[in-house]
Amino acid sequence: MHSNTAPLGAQLAVTVIGIAALIGGWAWAAQGQPDYVLPGPVAVLQAVARFAYEPQLIAQAGISLLRVVLSVAAAMVLALVLAGLVRRFRILDETVERRILTFFNAFPSVGWAILGVIWFQISNTTVIFVQVAIILPFCLINALAGFRQIDPEMDELGHSLTRSVWRRFRLLSLPLVAPFLLSGLRVAYGICWKIALVAELFGASSGLGFQLARAQSVSDATMVFACCIVIVLIFLVTDLLFLKPLVRRFSVNQ
Amino acid sequence: MAKSGVGRLSGARTTPSVPRLIGARHLSGTRIAHLFTLLALLVWWLYSQVVPAYQMPGPGAVFLRMIDFVTTPFLLGQLWISIYHISVAIALAFVVGSALAFTARFAPVTRMLIDTVLTPVLNAFAGIGWLFLALLWFGLNHTTVVFAVTMILIPLTTINVRAGLQELDEDMMEMGLSFTRSYLSRFIKIVLPLLLPYFFAALRISFGVSWKVVLTAELFGGNAGLGYLLNVARQEFDTETIFAIIAFILVFVVICEQLLFRPVQRRLDRRYSRA
Repeated sequence: MHSNTAPLGAQLAVTVIGIAALIGGWAWAAQGQPDYVLPGPVAVLQAVARFAYEPQLIAQAGISLLRVVLSVAAAMVLALVLAGLVRRFRILDETVERRILTFFNAFPSVGWAILGVIWFQISNTTVIFVQVAIILPFCLINALAGFRQIDPEMDELGHSLTRSVWRRFRLLSLPLVAPFLLSGLRVAYGICWKIALVAELFGASSGLGFQLARAQSVSDATMVFACCIVIVLIFLVTDLLFLKPLVRRFSVNQ
Repeated sequence: MAKSGVGRLSGARTTPSVPRLIGARHLSGTRIAHLFTLLALLVWWLYSQVVPAYQMPGPGAVFLRMIDFVTTPFLLGQLWISIYHISVAIALAFVVGSALAFTARFAPVTRMLIDTVLTPVLNAFAGIGWLFLALLWFGLNHTTVVFAVTMILIPLTTINVRAGLQELDEDMMEMGLSFTRSYLSRFIKIVLPLLLPYFFAALRISFGVSWKVVLTAELFGGNAGLGYLLNVARQEFDTETIFAIIAFILVFVVICEQLLFRPVQRRLDRRYSRA
């Protein structure tokens, strides 16, 4: 029951064999099945590759990425404003935490999607509104936690160095909260790709969510698979290239 | 975080002059929160007066529709179906997710496969993707809904239980080893109790997320449940019903949080605090 580790080579071997077995099993299961039930790995891979060279598909993925990034940024700013308000006026603590946060936390995502379409019709506004509403609680939890752990003595130090609120925020509060914000950012970004695509199913006529819905409605399972894999790829690559280094940079600074 | 706040409050109470001040501030914080709720309701009502009812029905109409819900057996039945979907999905995800985490722990050769391939990929896989695949495989029924929700919950459970397994106190393990050589009794008497807070966290998160996604699953892939009702209401522009369903979910989730999860969490925090 000790946490004995296996040699790295063995782990690597099991990993490779495991992935091979999964893909092999998939190919075996897909044999003889019609494409609209279970397409084989090769067909799916070809469909994924289409995302690399077909301009129309690249545009769909690009617009989804753009919306997700915009939504995450907007939700983060909103969460920062709310958390900053709580920090400035302690008395609002309960209002923000037990009313606003609870409300957004318990609100079903598809509810936002439906209401968004009713209120703003089919547009970019709808998608971004819905995505912001869905990921706001995740950002808010982290922003509140971040501001709460700021050492009061640090705050006093800041006060004694400058009276400018903006400079104190930029040079003191922000770096101290950054680790929390960034971990919130990462979670929110993941959730946005995973759940918030619902927004595009209802509220958009472009993007990966729309592409998924269209593929599903014509029983194009290959495209459904491909869209899912493209989403996983985009998420993993952006996480690896941008978010992880960002998180690492700010936690080293501490 | 909340714990430290409570500690500060009760700590302050021992000094004679401060408590009233802090008590008063706490009270008015609650009062402001209540005021905020009232204000939000008022704004909602005012806004509902100026926009057409299909865009934003007023609080009164929504409340009446909620009463309709509770008194109509058919509608109440749909609520139960949603709860049934969630319970089955949470239970399944719990078993599969924990099994993955335990495998990574007790069969170290699989660690890289599970930690760096399976969990991240499952975690990044879009919920809608599972749903549409399930639709193609199983059609419109309970299986589709439960499958989609389960697949979304599995990585969440795995991540939590895995975190718990990584935090396992090695001294504790060694102590167990010096008492008995039996794997089973060490597992039941030491590992499982130590994991309890993580199991609970996994359950709590699963519960919150499952409510968020079950409606989507039922909307696209179900022929029963609140999500199905939501879909019917959406097609008929019956905004009152949409609001009523959302309000039900809000109330249900908040009640579960307050009456079930928070007290249990507090007990766990007390039981497992290392201080």
